Amino acid sequence: MKIKEANAGALTNFEVLDFLRSRGASKDPTRVIVPIAPSEFKVYDYLVESATCNQTKEHINEFLERCKKYKLAKAEVLNIINLRPSALVEIDPIIEQSEKRFGDQLEELVNLVVEVLPEPPTQKTAEEDSNKDKEETTDEKNMDGNETETANNEQIDEHETEQTEDGEQMEVS
Amino acid sequence: KSKDSRRKLFYLSLIEHSMRLPPHRLNLPLDEAVKIELETLFLDKVIAKLGLCISVYDIRSIKGGFIFPGDGASTCTVEFRLIVFRPFVGEIIVAKLKESDANDLRLTLGFFYDIYIPVHLLPSPSRFESDTNNKNQGRWIWDFGEADAQSEEPRFVIDGTDQIKFQVYSVSYTSIPLEQPENSKPFAPMVITGSTDNDGLGPVSWWEEAEMVQEES
Repeated sequence: MKIKEANAGALTNFEVLDFLRSRGASKDPTRVIVPIAPSEFKVYDYLVESATCNQTKEHINEFLERCKKYKLAKAEVLNIINLRPSALVEIDPIIEQSEKRFGDQLEELVNLVVEVLPEPPTQKTAEEDSNKDKEETTDEKNMDGNETETANNEQIDEHETEQTEDGEQMEVS
Repeated sequence: KSKDSRRKLFYLSLIEHSMRLPPHRLNLPLDEAVKIELETLFLDKVIAKLGLCISVYDIRSIKGGFIFPGDGASTCTVEFRLIVFRPFVGEIIVAKLKESDANDLRLTLGFFYDIYIPVHLLPSPSRFESDTNNKNQGRWIWDFGEADAQSEEPRFVIDGTDQIKFQVYSVSYTSIPLEQPENSKPFAPMVITGSTDNDGLGPVSWWEEAEMVQEES
């Protein structure tokens, strides 16, 4: 075996998920029939639970367009797409020198992320408040001094779950 | 700083491999037979410096198909691309807790589970509370701002109920030569060492709670 190019291109999580889906991967129990190895299914399962699951090319393109003005590095954009940070504290480790480069604009960026990129699937079906998957949400749309933000467990979006307004507290069990 | 093109979870790698197709595969179309053979050889295996092979992405060329005298199998040289999982240092990944003992946390992504967060890369101060039944297992607790409130259940516990965000601190491979003897499976274990010692890292519920704490005060 000879490695001709160790790095022949980087893939977003979305592209890997898309590739597996195009070969027939799905959450169906019919997965035993498709030509996908169990190890590949494990990758599919991981990606499906992550922020990537509900993303479409349209989401990604829209985000790419709208984040241009922030002059993010390619790696930062792709990390944002992969992780879908929905709070300042989540986006901070992704962006280098965030204070210097963005200051207040960082909130704007988080708002943009939440607005454009779909939330991870488990939040829509939140059975228990306290059982959170990777993206917890704060009330991004009303974010000013973010420390005083209500932390809620349901996504404030077009989805059916409760809304919390600024200043109201959600009971977190 | 690492270059942009290096900083992702998954990459494509271009590989050239010569292989023998055993006779029983030869009734299939060549590219199918080759793909099956490649998958058998590479899927779910770690190649040093490349990472964990996830899938065969595409086959670029197949050359050969010769049958050597005295050999029932067909030999060909294939050029193909693999999707590999190769996290970079500094990357932030979400994982689930697999094991927790006094030395480290072990995390899993489902498809890869050699991820360790050693004690010194947990946020300080952290302490280990061992299980009553099994002294080697237990949970880690971050004593952040807990000086007074000892009566209640500690706030920042790692007990596996939610996902854990960590930052890749280092990735190590057992070194193995790149050129393999024919037909041997590529093999090298890969170990990710991670850190949760930073804002936003650790169990995702912590950061929700942290915001609530500040709200209350």
